[in-house]
Amino acid sequence: MNPLAEVEDLHIHFGPARAVDGVSLKIMPGEVLALVGESGSGKTTLVRAIQGLQPSTAGTMRLDGTTSAGSVRKHIRTIFHDPGVQMVFQDPTGALNPRQTVYEIVAEGLRISGQVTDEEQRVAMALSRAGLRPPESFFGRFPHEISGGQKQRVVIAGAMVMEPRLLLADEPVASLDASIRGEILALLRGLVDDHGLAVLVVTHDLGLAWNIADRVAVMYLGRIVETGPTEEILQRPRHPYTQALLSVVPEATGLEQQILTGEIPDPARIPTGCRFHPRCPLLQSGTLSPEIARRCVDDDPGIIGVEDVAAAACWAVIDAPQAG
Amino acid sequence: MSEPLLSLEDLTITYHTSSGPVPAVRGVSLYLARGGSLGLAGESGCGKSTLANSLLRLLPSGTDVSGRIRLDGNDVLDLSPGRLRAVRWTAGAIIFQGALHALNPVQTVGEQIAEPLLVHEILDSRQVARSRAAELLERVGMPAARANSYPHQLSGGQRQRVLIAMALACDPLLLIADEPTTALDLMVQAQVLALLEELRRERDLTLLFITHDLSVLTYICEDLAVMYAGRIVEHGPSGKVFADGAHPYTRALSAAFPTIGDPAARMAPSGLGGDPPTPGNLPVGCPFHPRCPLAEERCLVAEPELRPAGPDRGAACILV
Amino acid sequence: MSLAMQRRRATAARVGKQFRDSRSGMIGLGILAVFVVMALAAPLLADANQLNPVFARNAGNPQWATPGEFGPLGTDHIRRSVWAQFVWGSRVSLFVGLAATVLTILIGSVIGIVSGFFGRRTDAVLMRLTEWFLVIPFLPLAIVLASVLGRSVWNIIFVIGITSWPSTARLVRAQVLTVKQRLFVDRAKSLGAGGPHIVARHILPNVSGLILANATLAVPVSILTETTLAFLGLGDPASASWGKTLEEAFANGAMIRNAWWYFVPAGLGILAVVLAFTLVGRTLEEIANPRLGGDR
Repeated sequence: MNPLAEVEDLHIHFGPARAVDGVSLKIMPGEVLALVGESGSGKTTLVRAIQGLQPSTAGTMRLDGTTSAGSVRKHIRTIFHDPGVQMVFQDPTGALNPRQTVYEIVAEGLRISGQVTDEEQRVAMALSRAGLRPPESFFGRFPHEISGGQKQRVVIAGAMVMEPRLLLADEPVASLDASIRGEILALLRGLVDDHGLAVLVVTHDLGLAWNIADRVAVMYLGRIVETGPTEEILQRPRHPYTQALLSVVPEATGLEQQILTGEIPDPARIPTGCRFHPRCPLLQSGTLSPEIARRCVDDDPGIIGVEDVAAAACWAVIDAPQAG
Repeated sequence: MSEPLLSLEDLTITYHTSSGPVPAVRGVSLYLARGGSLGLAGESGCGKSTLANSLLRLLPSGTDVSGRIRLDGNDVLDLSPGRLRAVRWTAGAIIFQGALHALNPVQTVGEQIAEPLLVHEILDSRQVARSRAAELLERVGMPAARANSYPHQLSGGQRQRVLIAMALACDPLLLIADEPTTALDLMVQAQVLALLEELRRERDLTLLFITHDLSVLTYICEDLAVMYAGRIVEHGPSGKVFADGAHPYTRALSAAFPTIGDPAARMAPSGLGGDPPTPGNLPVGCPFHPRCPLAEERCLVAEPELRPAGPDRGAACILV
Repeated sequence: MSLAMQRRRATAARVGKQFRDSRSGMIGLGILAVFVVMALAAPLLADANQLNPVFARNAGNPQWATPGEFGPLGTDHIRRSVWAQFVWGSRVSLFVGLAATVLTILIGSVIGIVSGFFGRRTDAVLMRLTEWFLVIPFLPLAIVLASVLGRSVWNIIFVIGITSWPSTARLVRAQVLTVKQRLFVDRAKSLGAGGPHIVARHILPNVSGLILANATLAVPVSILTETTLAFLGLGDPASASWGKTLEEAFANGAMIRNAWWYFVPAGLGILAVVLAFTLVGRTLEEIANPRLGGDR
């Protein structure tokens, strides 16, 4: 099966700050990929670039095999635009124009792209699919008249009405109350199962990835450091950063806590060699062989992200003696 | 048994808004022994932040507060303004949510940590207060030199540490933490929680930790109380309440924080329909019944009181 | 689209109710209503001929008559009815005030929106232009323009408009910058919206409240500016504005003669109208702001 979307060696630099420093990804149709990381990892910048809200410095993106149309500007900064890619935002209250009705919000995408036939029907269908029933009762309402969960459903409906093939969800439930997150997540998973949609979810919440993701990609300081099927990555993580993250998740299952010191470094001063090495508990433990330890400090483990199996950008993993 | 450090008896708090009275807290009673740690969990509108602010009488004037709040032998609601000011920060201190807004953007963090020391005349020289502030900064894991930084120059995690340092300035007996780790990254959250735990043990602090993230509470608090619609609907030892809640709301809330590795949660996100109730507009009978998977007709009759649900546990549900 | 109409009616009803609830707003509106009616009904209230000194002399009007001796407000130094000047003056003052404000708001809003929306170089250029106009000393410019263009009502309107737009532009630009950052603009972009759509559907509706409030507060400024220009002798000699009345009163010794009926009405008229617009404008601003604040 061919990938639905591919990102190849994407770079997004803001002057000296390398927010996204070489990311490659592929997303298959009908799957949910969770992009996990802390703030400063570049995950939000990456997703905004895929949506076309952020120019990128280098790299390509392909949807369905065709390179996305871009507008090439003076400094080779391209912006990707494709109606097949739609976005669900973190803050549903901010994402809705308080002066527009729910109908106008959902219909907006259709109107912009000039799709005038059956507008009312399509809007009703999208609202209904997003769980707002009966849809007509929501047409005339304003954002301040509906709850947080309902607002997010309106955002989802506004994205689904465009019949996207790829949905980008930036922390879709982070600003919602805990008791209603499950329904929104179930809705997203349902859209994948019923319509063959692919979803790229950006989140800091590993529990969310466990709930709905098929695959997980962990980002650190602008690169993907580990990727693979959810069960593998969340239960048998191999990269020390992923291991540390999982050990401090409050809902973790009995892993010994590894609290890293310090914070994610400034993206304008990315460490040499493996960018995680200054904080790496494995390197600090002294149990690595001198050859591997030297590689950690001097050599960049490279870009991962498009492998079919689990992969970790860590010399201790790459150079591990193969089991017999 | 010695008197609890903090005891609330039938605390009821009603705001007065332009659209009428809003009952944010409706008859909450709880007790916190010296050296203990209690987590208060709930979602938006449940009243937990209102409750936190009421402990030091920080609510807007005109708010109706009835019931009793006893803190270190003082009846907080009855204190004269002078005594109240003396008690604030020395008996109990609050770590607020949203560190960027809780800090004055035009003062260095060192000055802000030193402020309570000077206000309460614990130290009377600016210089000594500043060096105490630097010491406190180091205690919370930041280099003393950072005392000269302004809030916007610090990261989220660092600002939160500054708030903790500020709260500890007058050596309070009770530390009230209102959503202290909500906006923080996973690793920074772990660092802050570990710090709080360390400080608690070192100074024999009593901790009241308020959050919507139930899983965090089980890590740092011995006991747990769950709030819904202004009341406590369940309480008990935190591990047991989280793992096996007696009240259907507690169970639903726990399920929203799936355990990684639990096959039952894989591809099965669990949540409740509807929305948390708005304080001015509560359903009849049990306020949870519209969203409760186990609701029966009896649930519409009256609001259930807390009833025993095991040793040291209680739940406000007729099905218990 | 019936939904759009319904929505517009609902918004208008909401604003109307909030306005009615504001005592200061209603007082302002009341005062305004009085003067607007006076301006519109001028022919019915006072004979325009009484503004003509030749007619006044031929009609045998006394000079410097007190209100008791002639008409509701007496006469001036060349026998004209002061009441007629007051009534007809309201027309000019209100008209110039409103027209100049329309010009100010038009120029200011367009520049503010273009500058705020396009940003970068466009913004830099337009802001330098704005600052240039902002620092030009108003009076010398007005004098120069008046002498170059001649002293007519339309030129006064032009002068006021040309010198007042910078503050509107800066206000609008600031609001546009704020709205531009809002997440719903990102959402529109991700749906494929281009600049015109975003400005028309997202920026304008969230800026229009502020513009309206600003406009209402700009009218008294325009009226006072016109008064100042007329008082300094730069006004249209043919028109009978309140500023002109004040200028003539002072120039012809009304103060010395204690002929209060000549300058007090015009002065009070200006005060009342300015106050009225300010009250209405402030009320509108209060109504507009919570909605613009938007987020929960």
